[in-house]
Amino acid sequence: MIRFENVSYNYPDGTPALRNINMGIKKGEYIGIIGKNGSGKSTLSLHLNGLLRPQKGKVMVRGMDTGDFSKLQGIRKIVGIVFQNPETQFVGRTVEEDLAFGPENLCLPPMEIRRRVDRALAETGLEKYRYHSPKTLSGGQGQCVALAGVLAMEPECLVFDEVTSMLDPDSGKAVLERVKRLHEKGKTIVYITHNLEELHAADRIIVMDRGRIVLEGKPENVLSDPSLRDLGLTPPSLIELAEHLKNHGVAVPWEKTSSPSNFAEEICRLFLKM
Amino acid sequence: MPIILENVSFFYSRNTPLETAALKDVNLRIEKGEFVGILGEKGAGKSTLIKLFNGLLRPDSGKVTVDGLAPSSKEVKRRVGMVFQQAADQLFCRTVYEEIAFGPLNFGYTRKETEERVFEALDAVSFDRSMLLRDPFSLSGGEMQRVALAGALALRPDYLVLDEPITGLDPAGKKEILDTLRKIKDRGTAIITVTHNLKGFFPLLERIVLIQKGRISYQGSRKEYLETENVPLPPVASMMRELKVRGVPVNPAVFTVEEALEEILKVKSMIEKEKAEK
Repeated sequence: MIRFENVSYNYPDGTPALRNINMGIKKGEYIGIIGKNGSGKSTLSLHLNGLLRPQKGKVMVRGMDTGDFSKLQGIRKIVGIVFQNPETQFVGRTVEEDLAFGPENLCLPPMEIRRRVDRALAETGLEKYRYHSPKTLSGGQGQCVALAGVLAMEPECLVFDEVTSMLDPDSGKAVLERVKRLHEKGKTIVYITHNLEELHAADRIIVMDRGRIVLEGKPENVLSDPSLRDLGLTPPSLIELAEHLKNHGVAVPWEKTSSPSNFAEEICRLFLKM
Repeated sequence: MPIILENVSFFYSRNTPLETAALKDVNLRIEKGEFVGILGEKGAGKSTLIKLFNGLLRPDSGKVTVDGLAPSSKEVKRRVGMVFQQAADQLFCRTVYEEIAFGPLNFGYTRKETEERVFEALDAVSFDRSMLLRDPFSLSGGEMQRVALAGALALRPDYLVLDEPITGLDPAGKKEILDTLRKIKDRGTAIITVTHNLKGFFPLLERIVLIQKGRISYQGSRKEYLETENVPLPPVASMMRELKVRGVPVNPAVFTVEEALEEILKVKSMIEKEKAEK
């Protein structure tokens, strides 16, 4: 669905942000992208719908080149991005107006805009805030508005760029649950984060370092990879514990490392079997 | 002398239909040199609480004193330094030097005295002098947070109060700040931090204060906290608690991967021994 071919991009000061990236994203896939600050994650995400265009190589979204200006509107109907700070994305005076902004720009008929806004409000549980100013909402609710704004565009692929990093743990979990549900409904998800604990449900994880893809694979392989620490990333503590236990002959399977209670249950089961 | 809160209550929109109690009958004492973590869900009253420490907010009832002084006094503003969540929102000067010097100059210290304090603060956050002429807005998130910390430290506070100092930073930035805080604490400054990040902060906290719905529902040592029911825990500690509940004889009061590993392996060898005896 999305393909990067030899993509390179330098910041205005000449520092390379992406170096010769090749990768593909399939329809319906759930991809996690991790890497420390400055590794190129966000630059990569901005290439997904043509907000940035490669200086070398090309990015193709469903056969459309992001470098082709006439294709941009088509591309942005397919790929929507939700960013870290929702406040910087609000344009409307009320939540409803804010959500209508995207569809209006697609020149859709009023009835269709109404339908999409209502649906996005329902999907994110924001109906009761319809007439509130987005600026008066809490961080978690604000992030929901940003998400609803992208949903109203009805894109096939949703990109989340560190959407939970400013939220408290409960609001963060709620956002992550929503992302999982969207994936179950068939949306293609690209989820960028610092927090490796959030990537258990991904189909594939891409690790970036200094503008390159340095590690790629299934979460069970990537999250337990010993090189993560050298890349400045902290592996989830339960996965780390499972790795240590494995070396001592206590094998906790990957699926059981997703939550403390599953993990404890598995340890009990293993001990009873002994 | 400590920071003391006696029966403190605080209301938002007092005497209006929207009146909400943010804090109710809070009693708290924070000693010099302590490292205290203030935990709680969002809306519990954590940020309101810390704003009472240096008079940014005044209690509707009860009393706050800092080393016996009223928080409205200028001296308390010096003794209690505050750094808020998004450092970028607090920076406004063109150079790091001006940024750090702003507090001392405002307090009327001489240029020379100010310079001395800037260098001292710079050292406390492990920056070298080449940083001083940089534009604060050209720095990374972790670096900006360190500049904000240095700005607070330049007043040589006895208490440094922080609101979510590592939220939004990448793992390297988080580590930078945690290492810096450890160093500041070792120099004798008390650190009081509001945080959701148990995993990052837990090893540093000497005392934990948990706020739920405007009341202090727990305060005590880290060890006691791990043994207390119905408190938020980092993943490993929460897993150990589950093991204990399920009847596995582990000590649940651990929070590092290494300690948990040791506890689980102890039980494993116990089971193996029993089996061998049979």
